Amino acid sequence: MEKEKKSWPPYAPGTHVKESDIREKKLTYTWWEPEVQYSWSLGHAMSKFIQGLKTGKIYGIHCKRCKRVIVPPRMFCEYCFGPTDEWVELKDTGVIETFSISYLDPDARRIEEPILVGVVSIDGASPKHGFMHYFGEMTKDEIKIGMKVKAVWKPENEREGSITDIKYFKPLKGGDD
Amino acid sequence: MGFLEKQTDPTTPMHWRGDMQADYFYPSGIAGDKFFRHIMENDTFLATKCSKCNKVLFPPRLYCEDCFEEIQEMDWIEVPSTGTVKLYTVVTINAHGKKLEKPRVIAFIDIDKTNGALLGVIRTNDFNKDFLGTKVKAIFKQKGNREGTLKDILYWE
Repeated sequence: MEKEKKSWPPYAPGTHVKESDIREKKLTYTWWEPEVQYSWSLGHAMSKFIQGLKTGKIYGIHCKRCKRVIVPPRMFCEYCFGPTDEWVELKDTGVIETFSISYLDPDARRIEEPILVGVVSIDGASPKHGFMHYFGEMTKDEIKIGMKVKAVWKPENEREGSITDIKYFKPLKGGDD
Repeated sequence: MGFLEKQTDPTTPMHWRGDMQADYFYPSGIAGDKFFRHIMENDTFLATKCSKCNKVLFPPRLYCEDCFEEIQEMDWIEVPSTGTVKLYTVVTINAHGKKLEKPRVIAFIDIDKTNGALLGVIRTNDFNKDFLGTKVKAIFKQKGNREGTLKDILYWE
């Protein structure tokens, strides 16, 4: 490129840095990995939900005034602002409400095989009540909104009280339930 | 009863703990690269001298921050790795607030023959001493072990 003579700001050529330049140490750099930890207080409702997952159960909570079963559970109903009333054990099946075919992994790296993620409405809860999860045992061409799905759980000894105690949701075929 | 249910099990309320990955990558840039490659091979520093205002920029830069004059190849000069303590502080805890085994003296060192300065650690056992104005010299890692970062300067004394 023709060097442009300017009085201000002075011309400085741009330098493109490739990942290989870093790997091959072609340039000097500083790399720092800070130790950043967080601790999120789950509260009563989410604690019960998470511990339910550990035992292979999905808990919802019932608001008697709004006649609503909420999942993930909350200690108050955001419709009537009243306290929620009763714990309800829900089925581990549901319906795909929305989904995404993602070519990025959770660290935003590009991937060849897409991961399928989306929101599942859980059976037993009020309509459109559910949470996000992965979908598996189906291809990106097979997945569709309204599909019946069933949770695939981790083996009981591997569960640690996390939403990932459910590995993914697989298509629910007749007789599976 | 959900909300009004009495909590009797202290293990029930949980915390979700996690790590946040927030890596920090800072390339030295064109001038910085030259500077760090120089200290990998030498025990001296490089600086750049502005041809217009004669200010000696340290750490070296590609343009003068005062008069915006561009630095040419011939404006690069070698300066000694010695300096004078302008400011210092005695640090007793690390970045996470944990107590250090031994305090560290962190100083702002005015580099000789330049208008710039560097932060560095002074090696000492006397933490009550007044370091202001002390002449210090950079002690580098052994040649061959240097990686081209400021950590190649082990300490100052």
